[in-house]
Amino acid sequence: MLFSSTVFLFLFLPIVCALYLLVRKELKDYVLLLASIFFYAWGEPRYVAVMLLTIIINYVGALWVANLNSKKKAWGFTLLLGEHTKLNCSCSAAKLALFLTILGDLIFLFYFKYFNFFVENINELFGGHIDFIKVIMPIGISFYTFQAISYVVDVYREEVEPQKNIYKLALYITLFPQLVAGPIVKYHDVADQIEHRTVDFEKVAYGVKRFIVGLAKKVLLANTLGAVADKVFTQPIDQLDCMTTWLGAICYTFQIYYDFSGYSDMAIGLGSIFGFKFLENFTYPYISKSISEYWRRWHISMGSWFRDYLFLPLQRALSLSKTYSKLSHRLGRRKINILLTAIALLVTWFLIGFWHGAGWSFVVYGLYNGFFIFLEIITGWNRDRKSFAGRAMQHLYTLFVVVLGFVIFRSDTMDYAWHYLLTMFGAERGEPIYHLIYYVDRIEIIALIVGAICSAPLCSKMLEVEGRSQLRIAAVNLWLLALFILSAASIAASTYNPFIYFRF
Amino acid sequence: MNRDEIYAKLTEIFKENLDLDEIELTDTTTADDVEGWDSLAHIGLIAAIEQEFGFRFAMKEVVNLHNVGEMVDLILQKIG
Repeated sequence: MLFSSTVFLFLFLPIVCALYLLVRKELKDYVLLLASIFFYAWGEPRYVAVMLLTIIINYVGALWVANLNSKKKAWGFTLLLGEHTKLNCSCSAAKLALFLTILGDLIFLFYFKYFNFFVENINELFGGHIDFIKVIMPIGISFYTFQAISYVVDVYREEVEPQKNIYKLALYITLFPQLVAGPIVKYHDVADQIEHRTVDFEKVAYGVKRFIVGLAKKVLLANTLGAVADKVFTQPIDQLDCMTTWLGAICYTFQIYYDFSGYSDMAIGLGSIFGFKFLENFTYPYISKSISEYWRRWHISMGSWFRDYLFLPLQRALSLSKTYSKLSHRLGRRKINILLTAIALLVTWFLIGFWHGAGWSFVVYGLYNGFFIFLEIITGWNRDRKSFAGRAMQHLYTLFVVVLGFVIFRSDTMDYAWHYLLTMFGAERGEPIYHLIYYVDRIEIIALIVGAICSAPLCSKMLEVEGRSQLRIAAVNLWLLALFILSAASIAASTYNPFIYFRF
Repeated sequence: MNRDEIYAKLTEIFKENLDLDEIELTDTTTADDVEGWDSLAHIGLIAAIEQEFGFRFAMKEVVNLHNVGEMVDLILQKIG
């Protein structure tokens, strides 16, 4: 069930909201939980069990971790490798329990999302004939698995108490506003809200408005520009010329932003209706002055997940190793820190790329971003520039890297991406059978201009009500009403509008 | 050790690790305020602080430090 579908907008959402607001306080969580499971089962009836199993694994796992944490026990064993060689293995018991729980989560993710990818590559590499398994990836598995991992790690780090009530943990993992495509809510950010939250008129009003903004972004901008990008990217590469490839790349850059940030607005808005306050997922990424800054503004919940649960712990573990102190004397402090950061970035960005999808172009996309972040760190590029020209250069460089990155991201194969990029820079030129006019009409050009303007924070305070005049608030509400009617009309007229991030 | 003594030691560590001649640390100082305190230097800083005061930070502590004030609070609590 898509947020931008008539079933969701005019049946599911009104019924759930009404029930949620009408029932007694103690029952609200259960209404929301049942609604979420129903929401999931509507689109993915076969795999509800997988999600429920994930919940049970993490419920038990976290209690186990917390129990061992409090006992501070260590587990170990000694391997006898020979008469005189012994290998002592020991680690804190809680860490082992954490490891096993995360492994349990990742096995599902691996099986459903990556198994066939590995089979394909192994077959190719060794000429084998291992059969593919017949699986379809359960919707949202990449997102809810990461939420589950966030929960056990937070418990392990003693940032939060383990959740004793399995229904509340289930609510955290299945909550339908963020279930299928994020934001990846971290447990420590909402632990309190799961226990106590209030629903009031202001939150509901804000949520409805925020939802409409997201809906309009998705339906009016992303879908319109997406149609152009689809037309370009489905052409055979030898039928594209320089101008068309740039048009396709720029349209896709705006499409993916409005698609995914629109979805996030809807999720945050829905959360607000039910009394939750989720952290922002996008803060105008296209105004960034470096790729490092870009990733603090784009899909923030994923970037910060990888930072908190992978990059920083990895960097830290490396800096505590014996090799680190040995090498830091030999190479000097700065060099060893560069080396260590490079390793941590490489692993992190490889996996960020891989998280997006089981395909090499995603891995390349991840490493491509990691490479620029590494360059920025060692050159100090992302320092604030004072001169106008300096800042303009930073903006241009960032947009350039972002747009080219999305070409890799959008292309089905690396081969296609490579030739597409060559065409963009005039190194190759196909024989276009369509003129540029074929791809864009008046409405697409308007969408492109509006999209470019709205990607800067010009009306970022539009939804604020505090200290605003009644007239202004009324004007904003009228504007939103108009956007809603336009969006609804557009949904009624079109038949197909999937969200990009549902694939991941 | 009191706060002032910790501040004095921290100032030395910062100066040495970041190659600075002068630096003034206060409770509200963050990485953005100090020239050269990037993520690279941060690894070295944490390691140097651990060595100087003789303890290890936990991962959640490293992640949750927001400014120098919190760092000093944590050091006080660790060595206290």
